[in-house]
Amino acid sequence: MKMYFLKRLLSLIPVLFIVSIVIFMIIHLTPGDPASLVLGEEATEEQIQAMRADMGLDLPILTQYFHWIGNALQGDLGTSYFMRQPVTEAIVSHLAPTISVAIIAGTISLLISIPIGILAATRRGTNTDRTVMGISLIGMSVPSFLLGLFLILLFGVKLRWLPVAGYQPITDGFFGHIKYLILPSIALGSMHAALIARMTRSSLLEVLNMNYIKTARSKGVHEYLIITRHTLRNAFLPILTVIGQTFGSLIAGAVVTETIFNIPGIGQLIINSVERRDYAVIQGVVLFVTCTYVLINLIVDLLYGVIDPRVRLNKK
Amino acid sequence: MSREKLLEVKNLKTHFNTENGRVTAVDDVSFHVDKGEILGIVGESGCGKSVTSQSILRLFDEKYLVKYEGEVLFKGDIDLLKLSKSEMRHARGNEISMIFQDPLSSLNPVLTIGFQIAEALMLHEKITKEAAFEQAIEMLKLTGIPSPEKRVHDYPHQLSGGMRQRVMIAMSLACKPRLLIADEPTTALDVTIQSQILDLIEDINKRFDMGVIFITHDLGVVAGLCDRVVVMYLGQIVEEADILNLFENPMHPYTKGLIKSIPHMDGDRKEELHVISGTVPSLENVPVGCRFAERCQFADELCQSKMPDLRVVGEGQKVRCWHAEKIAEQEEAPVYVTS
Ligand SMILES: Nc1ncnc2c1ncn2[C@@H]1O[C@H](COP(=O)(O)OP(=O)(O)OP(=O)(O)O)[C@@H](O)[C@H]1O
Ligand SMILES: [Mg+2]
Repeated sequence: MKMYFLKRLLSLIPVLFIVSIVIFMIIHLTPGDPASLVLGEEATEEQIQAMRADMGLDLPILTQYFHWIGNALQGDLGTSYFMRQPVTEAIVSHLAPTISVAIIAGTISLLISIPIGILAATRRGTNTDRTVMGISLIGMSVPSFLLGLFLILLFGVKLRWLPVAGYQPITDGFFGHIKYLILPSIALGSMHAALIARMTRSSLLEVLNMNYIKTARSKGVHEYLIITRHTLRNAFLPILTVIGQTFGSLIAGAVVTETIFNIPGIGQLIINSVERRDYAVIQGVVLFVTCTYVLINLIVDLLYGVIDPRVRLNKK
Repeated sequence: MSREKLLEVKNLKTHFNTENGRVTAVDDVSFHVDKGEILGIVGESGCGKSVTSQSILRLFDEKYLVKYEGEVLFKGDIDLLKLSKSEMRHARGNEISMIFQDPLSSLNPVLTIGFQIAEALMLHEKITKEAAFEQAIEMLKLTGIPSPEKRVHDYPHQLSGGMRQRVMIAMSLACKPRLLIADEPTTALDVTIQSQILDLIEDINKRFDMGVIFITHDLGVVAGLCDRVVVMYLGQIVEEADILNLFENPMHPYTKGLIKSIPHMDGDRKEELHVISGTVPSLENVPVGCRFAERCQFADELCQSKMPDLRVVGEGQKVRCWHAEKIAEQEEAPVYVTS
């Protein structure tokens, strides 16, 4: 297991290296000079040159890269000229709402989708199954911004149960915090819930068709234990992969939901930065999000090893 | 030696609901297994051997997939097809157990082999996990697995094919069942391992006086192992005979074809292997007459139009063929060929 862990960890290095190069190139491949963008149209040539020197843009490109990556490794992602604030600080201050929404959305969708998927699989072909499949199809096809708007109209405007938009930090009270984030979480999580429910169902059905399930039945194992003991662990591997992948899209989805619900999270930070061409922030956020994604998939891989002895024990 | 019937299958029919309608994979099959006897079920791929054996334990999904007809009498008067779900579960693995063709796919990859053997014990004998593992080790020892104390903690993928099949056997024997159904247990194994497993099954059959249904498509395997054989073709029994009669006096053209197609390892290497021409018709368009007619060189109008019954032709021998006697006579008469 330790070896497996180490191997997985080492395999991340090339991935992160390539990612960092791509992110670094953003600034050099987009048209327009960052320095003149910061200074505006009125700036003189000398001012621009001074700014370029200040931003390190006059150095050779390799030096710039190593400079940037070296600092990034120490947690310094540069400075935003628009916000007059270190990028790392900006990310940290926008992090809490996004993480909150991701956790709530993730938790709700897992708590709903997995049991529902199991239910549909064990009742395949019945009306329960058809209902679950139907609803999940809708859930997968409705875009989160549309669902978000609909939720705002229904629960915010019409019923007035929940706030229309905005954000309240958790430090100002847990329930207030949740109240603001429940709708965005549903809007964000529904697609994942639908996807995971379908995946759970199909994965379970596949395992239930396996020969070893027949073996278990031929031993006289109760249907309940067939599902919990013999099926779930095997079926969970593909589900886990989907969970890992959808977690990445939870972050991507945050861009949309945070805009609709006006939540000051990472999504909003990146949108604003793109509008302002605040390259340092864009690079920082993208690097941060990518690392999170890679980290989550590492965790998924490790869980694979925990669940499946073939992964854990093979190639010692 | 007076024999006592352990299992008696009477007019069993197994119907499947498929997308293209209903098919009858097992069609009016009757046979019995005596205590301590090894019964072979032989036939080509797709003729319904597995469905027959799994129907005995009712392993198909009865809610949507399958409908059984007939009777499966166990120990004289218990009709397995009439048992409730929980009664059936009690019989499975405890009174009747099963081993399958492919041991790797038949073992759960995420559970240790020890647990998989112990599971049946914990279920049926209500003993603790520790005691069950103790017995699992005993079973592994019995089936000839070296250092079983260590092996119990292994996962299926850590064992070789032959070892896995031994594990399957250990698992099926854990609760000392009265009947073991072995569905092509050696097909996936190479020849030396195959004979070891066959020896093991024979040994267990003797030692525990356990009835065995041994399913195979290889008549060669049957010869050294079984007491009696049932030959199946497209969901029906076409011949039943004890092992001597089957090889010395086969009555059905299909049985004869099967016997001819046994490879002779010691014989002339250049001898061409006999193959029965044609293929098994699909269940979706079963012939009205004799099901073997279109592949049979002796078939005539009668065979094409009317299905023969399974009839008694001798001591313990039954055959489903209109012309069995005529064919036998023809073959015995000297044939003069003018060229
Ligand atoms: N679940 C099922 N639904 C529909 N038809 C089935 C099902 N299981 C088996 N059959 C059909 O029943 C017939 C008999 O299959 P069976 O598996 O018993 O053959 P077999 O004699 O065991 O062959 P093999 O030597 O390949 O194992 C086949 O035509 C098969 O297509
Ligand atoms: Mg079979």
